[in-house]
Amino acid sequence: MMRTILLAALAALLFLAVPVSAADTDSLPGDADGDGTLTGDEVSATVLAYLDAAYMGGTGTDRTEALDAAQVYAFWGGRPKIVTDSAGKTATLYRPLRRIVVCNGETLETLRSIGLDAGRVVAVDKYSLEKSSFFPEYQGKTNIGSIWSPDMEKIVTARPDAVFLYATISTAACDDIQQKLEATVPGIHVFRFDCFKPATYADEVRAIAAMTGREERGEAFIAFYESAMNTIRDGVPDADRPRVYFEYWIDYRTVARNAGYNEKIGLAGGVNPYSGESTDYPDIDPESVIANNPQVVVKLAGQGLEFGGYAGHDLDSFARIRSALLLRPGWTTLDAVKNNRVYVIHSDILGGAQHFIGTAYLAKIISPERFGTLDPQAIHQRYLTDFQGIDFDLATQGAFVYP
Amino acid sequence: MTRFSVLCLACIGLLLLSVPVCASSSPITRTLSTIEPSGGDEFTVTLSIRDIAIGGIVESLPAGYVFVGTTHPASRILLRGQTIAFAVLNETEISYTVRAPATGSGEITGRWEDLAGDETGTVPASHVAVDGIDTPGEAAGAKPAGTNAQAGSPSGILAAAAAVLIGACLLAVRRDDR
Repeated sequence: MMRTILLAALAALLFLAVPVSAADTDSLPGDADGDGTLTGDEVSATVLAYLDAAYMGGTGTDRTEALDAAQVYAFWGGRPKIVTDSAGKTATLYRPLRRIVVCNGETLETLRSIGLDAGRVVAVDKYSLEKSSFFPEYQGKTNIGSIWSPDMEKIVTARPDAVFLYATISTAACDDIQQKLEATVPGIHVFRFDCFKPATYADEVRAIAAMTGREERGEAFIAFYESAMNTIRDGVPDADRPRVYFEYWIDYRTVARNAGYNEKIGLAGGVNPYSGESTDYPDIDPESVIANNPQVVVKLAGQGLEFGGYAGHDLDSFARIRSALLLRPGWTTLDAVKNNRVYVIHSDILGGAQHFIGTAYLAKIISPERFGTLDPQAIHQRYLTDFQGIDFDLATQGAFVYP
Repeated sequence: MTRFSVLCLACIGLLLLSVPVCASSSPITRTLSTIEPSGGDEFTVTLSIRDIAIGGIVESLPAGYVFVGTTHPASRILLRGQTIAFAVLNETEISYTVRAPATGSGEITGRWEDLAGDETGTVPASHVAVDGIDTPGEAAGAKPAGTNAQAGSPSGILAAAAAVLIGACLLAVRRDDR
């Protein structure tokens, strides 16, 4: 209770101390007559006022106001934008979001995919900051901690016009953050997005792009994403689906129906013999693997098995893990082992916003005949180069799939 | 390594250098009806615009050159001395007329802003000189050839250099063949 009161006091002080920005008002940028619609003449006047101030020695408007007016006119038809997040919450925006706090790395990565200027993100979660090689441009941003233990004062002090939280995971923690923010910071927008689920990702990208005035780039990214996913989604007949034993980084821990990895096995053309287990990540009896005789084995690296991924080009560690799998008691009888179909894949590309890349690699592994022309590495490289803007050469850097 | 190989490598290097320059070229191209007007004559400046939905262009004229008028709507321009601002709303071309002084030369320079796409840059400068005579003290610079001068990117110079080297390669091959 005391923390909530202190937070409310801090929020009130900030509102008194800092002039309310234009972003906080319920009016469109450049809407001179205040009729709620931005006309061509009004946006022209705003553009000229900005050019006058920036290049001609005049006293006009600043670039942010001109950017907002241009983007409202170009992408929202000159009217306020009604947006809906993945939790079903609807909000009316009068200008694109400019000061965003992002509490999950998946959404942060998605913002980069749609080309959002890093300057518009004012604070991020601690795990994103720890990925310094993948998110170099966010180093030095305010660290709000984790969603399970957020520094609410830092979030409020960053004066965001929006905070992004998970929609369907860590819901208790995210609900708590949302409740506190909405109770203490009038007018703040709290939006909920996952940005890791194949079923909702394209819609989430579209919604986030609309909120930030990045529609064009958002559609370009969605087209790229859908072209990869549609190739995979074409479907594999049930009779052609091989049995896939997917093992978490903990030995003999697998995935069941509600785990995201299970969905990806299905998309990639496999069938998971453990999908009916009662828990999402069940620990199973080693004998049951032998009994199920999987035709493909996929072992997950990353986090619990820290090597490879974007952090290193360490294929030897992948090879060691794979060799250990082959030496497990009774595994020489498995079809997967007999047919040399045992693989190690890194979690960097199988979860999160890059799920479509890992799914493409999985499809190639699980259904090589069906996806013969699919080139996961080309998709991966284009994602990094064209949409993430990262100077990362997959031929010489990183390690994601073995062999 | 033969002279032919060295020349080929040099060509490839120059062509590679020219590629990124082309990729980052300006979305605005300026064309002048003449770059050598007679004193007091009017000439047309045409700005061709590519992929700017909402934005602006700011043009600066050399001293003595006077903005006369434009086909662009009056509500979408702003004039201050030698500088003209144009608001761009999906136009692909804007033309304006300039009157030359009795004598004098200089550069027409420009800046562009793509506000819907949040990008900004420079329109390559265009040299203009009354009767083709540079005013004393005026840097001669690289003048475009021909009367319909087009401000372009340095990639053309690199491509020309590469072409010269390719020619040299062919000569070298012919000489080696003998």
